[in-house]
Amino acid sequence: MLYRLATPGVGDEVVEIRVLQWHGDVGAAFAAGELIVELETHKALIEVRAGQAGILRRIFAADGAWIQVGQSFAVFSDAPDEPVGDDPAAEAAFLANFVVD
Amino acid sequence: MSTEAPRMFFREAIARAIAEAMRADPRVIVLGQDVGSFGGAYREFDGLYAEFGAERVRDTPVAEAAIMGVGVGAAAAGWRPVVSITYMDFVMLALDPLVNYGAKLRYKTAGRLTAPVVVKTTAGARGQGVAHSQCLESWLMGVPGLKVVSPSNPADAYGLMRSALKADGPVVFVDHKRLYPIPGEGPDPDAETPIGKGRIARHGADLTIAAHSFMVHVSLQAAEILAGEGISIEVIDLRSLAPLDVDLIHASVSRTGALLTVEEGQVTCGVGVEVAARVRERGAAFAVARVGAIAAPVSSNPVLEAASIPNAETVARAARLLLGARDSGHSGAGGGELSAL
Repeated sequence: MLYRLATPGVGDEVVEIRVLQWHGDVGAAFAAGELIVELETHKALIEVRAGQAGILRRIFAADGAWIQVGQSFAVFSDAPDEPVGDDPAAEAAFLANFVVD
Repeated sequence: MSTEAPRMFFREAIARAIAEAMRADPRVIVLGQDVGSFGGAYREFDGLYAEFGAERVRDTPVAEAAIMGVGVGAAAAGWRPVVSITYMDFVMLALDPLVNYGAKLRYKTAGRLTAPVVVKTTAGARGQGVAHSQCLESWLMGVPGLKVVSPSNPADAYGLMRSALKADGPVVFVDHKRLYPIPGEGPDPDAETPIGKGRIARHGADLTIAAHSFMVHVSLQAAEILAGEGISIEVIDLRSLAPLDVDLIHASVSRTGALLTVEEGQVTCGVGVEVAARVRERGAAFAVARVGAIAAPVSSNPVLEAASIPNAETVARAARLLLGARDSGHSGAGGGELSAL
C-alpha cells in the first residue's frame, strides 16, 4: 500500500513551512518511532517521526524547500517494490496518510 | 534546493540585517529581554549570540526604562545599540529616555552628540489581551527627532532595519505579531529601502487605501474582495510613518479621488488622521474615511479581539460606504469617520 506524507498540523495562521532536514534518502526503511524529517515553522522545529513502518519512495520537497501546510511532500510504501505512479505528486492527494507521531 | 533559497521567514530578515550590520561595525550591539541564547521572543535574533557573544548581545532584566536608558546613553557614547522592547505596550515604560533624551539629544547639544539607537518592537493583537496587543505607532509620530518605520514583509523588514542601523538618530522599528508566520521573498541585495518612502502594494483606480504593517495584508484581501465587485482599489504600504511619504499618497489620491486609511490602532489621533490631513493640505478635496480599532481595549477573548480590530470584510465595507457616499454627493474632504464595526 502507498501512503502520502502530509505536513502535520502546526497551529492556526501558519500556512507555509520549510523543510530543514531529511533523515533518510529515497529507499530508506523507517520503523515506528524513527525520525523521518525535521520541519521548521516561523518559531519552532517539528520532528516528524514514523508512527508505522514504511519505505520512503518519493520526496517532493528537499532540504530548504517551502511547503504549504496540508500539502503532501513524500510518498511511503509498505513494500520496497510496490509500483509508484507516473505523477506521484498529483496522485499523492488520493493516498492514505502515513501515520506519524 | 538549498537553504540559500531567497524566500525567508520574517524573523530571518531581521536577524540577517542585524547580523550584517554587526559584522560590518563593531559598535552595533543588541540589548533586551531574551535576546541572547534564547534568540528573541520571535527568534528574530537567532544566531546573533552564537556569532557575537554576550558582550555584544546582552540579555537584560525586565526593566524597559533601564534598557532604553542604557541604549540611549550607549548611543550617545558612540555605540549603535538595537534595543529590543518585546511588546510595543511596554515602550510606554521607556518613553522618557527615548523621547526626552534620545530624540532630543542632537538638538540639545547643537549637533555635537547624536543617539543612533534602533528600537525594535512588536505591536498587534494575537490573543494576548489588553496590555500586550496595542498598536501605539501614532503616539510616536509626533515626537521631533524620532523616526518610525513599520514593514509589512520580510524584504522591507530587512531593508528598513538596514536603513535604521545607518541612521544618525533614534528609529523605532515596529512590526506585528501576525507578520511572523508569513514568509516572503527575501531582499534584493542591491536595493535600498530608505526611511520615508512608501510603496504601492496594489495598483487601482477607484479608491486609495493607506495602511502599514499587518493591515497591508488585510487591505490587500479587502481589495481582492472588492475586485470581484468591479471596484478597483490601490493599496499603499506606508512603510515609514515618520516621516510619511506624502508625495506617494497624494499622487495616488489625486488619481482615485478617495482615501481610506486602515490601521489596527485607535483612529482618534491615529496614523490615518495624519495621513488624511497631510494629503488634504496639498490641495483638492477628496472623499475620506478612517478604519481602525473600536474605542475599547483589545480583549484576550478571541471573539472580542476579532470584533475590536479591522478585518478584510470591515475594510471592504468601509470602502463601499465611502464610494457610495462620494458618488451620491454626501462626502467631501473630511466627510466621514468609520470605525471597524
